[in-house]
Amino acid sequence: MEAQPPLAPHTTPSPVRTWSAADLLLPAPRVHRFDPRLPAAAVLSLPVVAARPVVSRVPLLERPPLVRSFRFPQVAALPAPAPRPTARMDPPTARVDRPGAPAAAAVPAAAPLARATRTRIAPPRDVVKLAERFFFLLQPDLETILDTSRLEFPRPPFPFQLDGMAFLVPRHSAVLADEMGLGKSMQAISAIRLLVRSGQARRVLVVCPKGLVSNWARELADWAPELLVAVIEGDPARRRWQWSLADVPVKLANYEVVVRDRDLVAELGLSFDLVALDEAQRIKNRSSQTSQAVRALRRGRSWALTGTPVENSADDIVGLFEFVAPGHLHERMSPRALGAAAADHVLRRTKDRVLKDMPPRLDRDAGVELTSQQRETYRLAEEEGVLRLAGMGREATIQHVFELVLRLKQICNFDTHSGESAKLERLEAELEEVRASGRKALVFSQWVETLGRLRGRLDRFGALEYHGGLSTQARDETIRRFRHDRHHSVLLLSYGAGAVGLNLQFSQYVFLFDRWWNPAVEDQAINRAHRIGAAGAVTVTRFLALDTIEERIDAVLRRKRDLSATILSEAGTPEASGLTVDDLFALFRLTPPTRAAAA
Amino acid sequence: MQQAGDQRPDATAFGFLTAVETPAHGCLGGYLLVDVCGRPLEFHCTTPVKVSRAQQILYGAALPAHLHGRQLGAALLAEGTVEPALVLTDIEAMLHVRPHTLLPVALVAAVEPRRPDAVALGAAAIVPPPTAPGGDRWRGALESLAAAVDLHEPFARIRAAIEEAQRH
Repeated sequence: MEAQPPLAPHTTPSPVRTWSAADLLLPAPRVHRFDPRLPAAAVLSLPVVAARPVVSRVPLLERPPLVRSFRFPQVAALPAPAPRPTARMDPPTARVDRPGAPAAAAVPAAAPLARATRTRIAPPRDVVKLAERFFFLLQPDLETILDTSRLEFPRPPFPFQLDGMAFLVPRHSAVLADEMGLGKSMQAISAIRLLVRSGQARRVLVVCPKGLVSNWARELADWAPELLVAVIEGDPARRRWQWSLADVPVKLANYEVVVRDRDLVAELGLSFDLVALDEAQRIKNRSSQTSQAVRALRRGRSWALTGTPVENSADDIVGLFEFVAPGHLHERMSPRALGAAAADHVLRRTKDRVLKDMPPRLDRDAGVELTSQQRETYRLAEEEGVLRLAGMGREATIQHVFELVLRLKQICNFDTHSGESAKLERLEAELEEVRASGRKALVFSQWVETLGRLRGRLDRFGALEYHGGLSTQARDETIRRFRHDRHHSVLLLSYGAGAVGLNLQFSQYVFLFDRWWNPAVEDQAINRAHRIGAAGAVTVTRFLALDTIEERIDAVLRRKRDLSATILSEAGTPEASGLTVDDLFALFRLTPPTRAAAA
Repeated sequence: MQQAGDQRPDATAFGFLTAVETPAHGCLGGYLLVDVCGRPLEFHCTTPVKVSRAQQILYGAALPAHLHGRQLGAALLAEGTVEPALVLTDIEAMLHVRPHTLLPVALVAAVEPRRPDAVALGAAAIVPPPTAPGGDRWRGALESLAAAVDLHEPFARIRAAIEEAQRH
């Protein structure tokens, strides 16, 4: 680094400061003054006694709650089922008669019910007392009751049949309206059995059509082998004795007997814990003697069994309820109101809903061309008949129309002059096949006369007849032969006698040779074969003479069937409308006289 | 403590004791006496007991035992006119009724998970009562009952009845 030159000498003169005297005086000191007096002390007042604390009382759980108690009637001791006694009670001196009743040993012991299902007995809506509702609510499930009661069945009930029993047992007013073939009688018998075994019923009356008494006796023997049953029949002295039997829990009578013995039953002062009516549609007409007689029976419970609670109109079920629950329904109620009011009393199931695995029913309409001779006879008869009706004008009545329809239908079956029958030719061909396959067939007609003509022509098939013209014994014997003798392939039945109550599920073919007025009756007929226990598919053939009155009737019935599902749809009752006066006149494009007059 | 002499002994009768708790009403007890087939003989049910928050705090962990055992259980068992062979409950706290009754009380427990103190009986597991002077006289009859009835099932009946009583 290069050396710096030395600094030059300071030549600036020094400054001179001067002070004045005032500047030299010290400032006056500040004097602080202190007040030696103490300030007055503030007085803080503190309360000596504090406010009383709030005490919350928490009650201990000491007092026990109130207890409501309910005690239930003791169920009678349940002995093991005894061997089946007589199905019919006879005076000691009379012959023991047990038509169609299987031997006790023929009833196999049933295994305990499948435990997978649990069916509860729910109290009906009209049971209002809490104690009574508890009685039902606190029962074990139905399967347990049946198992522990040691009740045996010839075959295990279907779950829907257990539901049916659970529906009936607690009800004083019940309509079991299952479709035909679902076992209404078996469900009713099992429910009766439970009530009798538990001591809730000691006197039961079952009323059924005359033709079904033997069937009911058989069903009772099968499904309630330990119950004594008295069939009320015979001369007045015998019936008096039978009505008076005190130690027989179940009495079985037909409707005619109940009507005939109305005064006798009153005179004997009989009352029943339960009256069950089979085919209860018989009492839908409230003014009929039958309806009045059954309604006069003194009873605790009223059950009605019918597959067709509504056949023609809503009035049908109102009539039914006059027995089941008098005053509960009336005809001024709308169909929907009827359904709502009846709902808790009516149980209705159909096969397609409850029996998914039931053998199929194959329906086919067999259109048949009349023979030329039949066609000519038919044409002349219809032309003459229509002309006659038209000529009568307002004098034409429903009876006149009805007679013409019947005449034409008969010609569709058989030509009245030549005896030719296109339907019979077709039937014979079908039956050949039935016989060849070892099957059995039912043939229905509305005329006994037609059945007779068919029998003469179907002798080679071992055809048997079953209709109301036969005695009860003859009918029972006919069924027995048809059931057990393989030479009898065909049973000819009238709709009137054969459409209800019979169990012919061993038949695989049903032929409707002519058509009934009401599809519900046809269904009943078909369900003689297509019912529980049917071994295979059931083929139903409806003969229909083409281009005749039969085809027109069929069209009307089909249309009405579609329309009438509204009545009691809430309760699930079936549609089953038949032909009305208007329908019959319309078959010939005529107007009923009353309407014509009004117009 | 309930005196057994107040009741008619029935070696084939069984009691089912349980309680239902609802937010609206509180706790209700039910006691069903059945025969060996499971059919009802008697039914007793209590008015509801509603426990306050303060009571919950005060009783603490002792509340279930007190409520079920002393309050509901003891009151119900005292009302029976039948002395059953055994009382069964499905609520463990209800076992605290034992000091208040001479009746043997057992617990019906779930089969799974299996409790070490339980014995299998039908579809249920039973925690038996301590050996009492009467011994195990209930055991044979209970086996008969279990053969007829699922031992859990009567409790469902009691609950259904209590619900019905609430609606009534």
